[in-house]
Amino acid sequence: MPTVTIDGKRIKVKKDATILDAANKVGIWIPTLCHHRALSSDASCRICMVEVDRGEWRQLVTACNYPVRRDITVYVSSERAKQARRGVMELLLARAPESRELKELAERMDVMQTHYPTVTESQRNCILCGLCVRVCEEIIGQAAIGFVGRGVDRAVAAPFRQPSEDCIGCGVCAAICPVGTIKIRIHPDQQEVEISPFKSRAKLMVCRECGTPIVSSEVSKQVLSKIQINWEEFRESLQLCPKCKRLHTAGKLTSTIANKTGDREGVY
Amino acid sequence: MIRASTKFISANDIERFVQEFHDRADSASKVVRICIGTGCAAKGSRRLYELFCEAAKRSDQDIRVEAKCVGCHGFCERGPIVVVEPGEVFYQQVEEPDVAEIFRETVLGGRVERIVLIGNGRFDPTQISDYIVEGGYSALAKVISSMTPEEVISEVEIAGLRGRGGGGFPTARKWRSCREAKGSLKYVICNGDEGDPGAFMDRSIMEGNPHSVIEGMLIGAYAIGSEQGYIYVRNEYPMAVEHLKTAISQARDMGLLGKNILGSSFSFDIRINRGGGAFVCGESTALMASLEGRTGEPRAKYVHTVESGLRGKPTNLNNVETWANIPQIIKRGGEWFAGIGTEKSKGTKVFSLVGNVVNTGLVEVPMGITLRRIIDEIGGGIRDGKRFKAVQTGGPSGGCIPAEHLDARVDFDELTKLGSMMGSGGMIVMDENTCMVKVAKYFTDFLHKESCGKCTPCREGLSQMLHILDRITKGEGEVDEMEKLERLAELLEGTALCALGKTAANPVLSTLRFFREEYEAHILDRHCPAKECRGLFRYQIDPEACKACGICLKNCTVNAITGEKKVPHVINQEKCTLCGACWEKCPFTAVKKV
Repeated sequence: MPTVTIDGKRIKVKKDATILDAANKVGIWIPTLCHHRALSSDASCRICMVEVDRGEWRQLVTACNYPVRRDITVYVSSERAKQARRGVMELLLARAPESRELKELAERMDVMQTHYPTVTESQRNCILCGLCVRVCEEIIGQAAIGFVGRGVDRAVAAPFRQPSEDCIGCGVCAAICPVGTIKIRIHPDQQEVEISPFKSRAKLMVCRECGTPIVSSEVSKQVLSKIQINWEEFRESLQLCPKCKRLHTAGKLTSTIANKTGDREGVY
Repeated sequence: MIRASTKFISANDIERFVQEFHDRADSASKVVRICIGTGCAAKGSRRLYELFCEAAKRSDQDIRVEAKCVGCHGFCERGPIVVVEPGEVFYQQVEEPDVAEIFRETVLGGRVERIVLIGNGRFDPTQISDYIVEGGYSALAKVISSMTPEEVISEVEIAGLRGRGGGGFPTARKWRSCREAKGSLKYVICNGDEGDPGAFMDRSIMEGNPHSVIEGMLIGAYAIGSEQGYIYVRNEYPMAVEHLKTAISQARDMGLLGKNILGSSFSFDIRINRGGGAFVCGESTALMASLEGRTGEPRAKYVHTVESGLRGKPTNLNNVETWANIPQIIKRGGEWFAGIGTEKSKGTKVFSLVGNVVNTGLVEVPMGITLRRIIDEIGGGIRDGKRFKAVQTGGPSGGCIPAEHLDARVDFDELTKLGSMMGSGGMIVMDENTCMVKVAKYFTDFLHKESCGKCTPCREGLSQMLHILDRITKGEGEVDEMEKLERLAELLEGTALCALGKTAANPVLSTLRFFREEYEAHILDRHCPAKECRGLFRYQIDPEACKACGICLKNCTVNAITGEKKVPHVINQEKCTLCGACWEKCPFTAVKKV
């Protein structure tokens, strides 16, 4: 097991663990935006730059995907590493100046403002970290969204920038978005969920009892196909909203107790 | 010389005569052929012949030199004509004082014959027989019949060949890493995605001598232990695709590609993949992503492609020119190749020499030649008698080298020291009328348009740089913006994901380093010294040169020019919109940019 020395702290990690893993273990914070431990690494945001000692020189690398293969020395809080991270943050702030989440992260990195004007257009503060794209492909398995355009025209969209037919409306993209670009909108009248800004819509499953939208029908279908429980009552309970489910359970419970009490009465 | 008075007494005598002649001719390793046709003779070629004979006699070198009179080439207007063999080096309008230099530089060495472009202009690229007859595939035969893979790699190592695609990584080391990488399935790739503006070295090799690339790949695959190769060539090169296709199918038909090549246990085949023309697909990981059918975007190379490349398998990628060097190295030996060039850069390099030079085109020169020789001797100097200002090497992410460094030797390390690079071999020469800020802006704009947009520094950083450069060329720049450019350049170099992003600031950095005063003139004086940036210079009529013809007056759309017959005309600067119509139309070049 190779040893990583981060800012003087030593830690043994498994071979091919990343610098970020090692830093997390010793409690050293490295900012990240495009990284999520459930997903493959992309290293596209470049906010996690750290310095690795190469003997005669030091190399700036991304902590989120640099694999530790032998003993290495890493500098997280060296001036050059800090400057690199702050420089990248300033560029991101110039792109998405309105993002509250980005500002909070910037402040944590001691970046109070950016020196650069806004010259690239972002869709609702999107910083193109690609988490949504990867989660949709790798975890959900739908690949309903992807990158379109090149360079400054790069954006996240469904194919041909049309509402996606593959989107199942699960909303994981909205949940993972670090800057709140992606939002879930419920349209109760049409019983549909919309993933904005992709305009993709999916049918909602409504509670059998009260008609409240619960979850997208496709998600429910996929979940049901994946769980191996064939207990009818359990399957039926999934078609109820949480409130009705509680009522349903409570009702059943009372009737069972009542029945049992009844039995006892019968003995007397 | 065999006397022509030999009397033939049997039919075999003619053959013997020819054989004897060839045996003798071979011993003369250099031949200088001087044209003594009527035209050349009239221009004094007989005297040139005598001078070459004298020089040959004086030479105490081991090389046997023979001067020879030959008949008319047909280019009488350009005579006297002298051709030096081997290499068929062609000289026109040779004069007496040139003899010493031609003898020294070309006959006795110095100027090296072509290695990579050896077949171009000699054989039909669609005929495999042309290639085989000239010694093609003999290197493959040698490798298969008598060399182990390790010996092949050692030979390339002795040659000291470095990657011609730009990075200059030692080819043998790459091959060895790939050979030693775990896994039985390995790939070799030829990178034919030549995307630098104005560069066409690789295209001419693929079009003109596709078999040299295929043979190189075969030898590489044998050394590495690969059975499948890919040639990734951009679709904008239809003839290259066509010729490669033909070459591959001919090689397959003749058993040079496919199963059990030349009766050995070695099998290898090649597929062609056409790229869509994105500049970034020339980057190895982006190219592999594109080959896999995904978007051509680079990935981090902390795990090298020789370990995990195409489809996660060990993959060895080399540039077209690198592959084309291999057969020659095997055929003539690594020692021979290492004898050409400088200590750390061996062999020759093909450059695409373009811009404001008299002779533009492809040149293959030995490593270590000075920039001055390429530009002045081969390029014939600057067009229209103007002054040299800078040469841009290494493609869009290379740098601009000024006149004071013209004696720098062209090799991987020297160019890097000057803040430029070898790149794939683009060479753009610029004269005194070129604005260096505008040059930096042009290349930054190119890279900005071609950036894939994956990583923040390249996408956002280049946008910011372009924004600043745009302001400077419009005369809106501010003093602190040069520093801002430098800060952005440093950020890009340190944090961008791929080599294209890391080097994207080179045009700006190198111009800032060597032509800082031009930036300052734009920012402080709001003046463009090269008078290229519109709005940062004025048009003025030189009263001495003005013939009062009235052409400028008629062509001025805003009536800013006043003047009468026989009175020099004047431009009203308040009204002038700087459209430049008067400057273009003046037949006496009396309208000047100031």
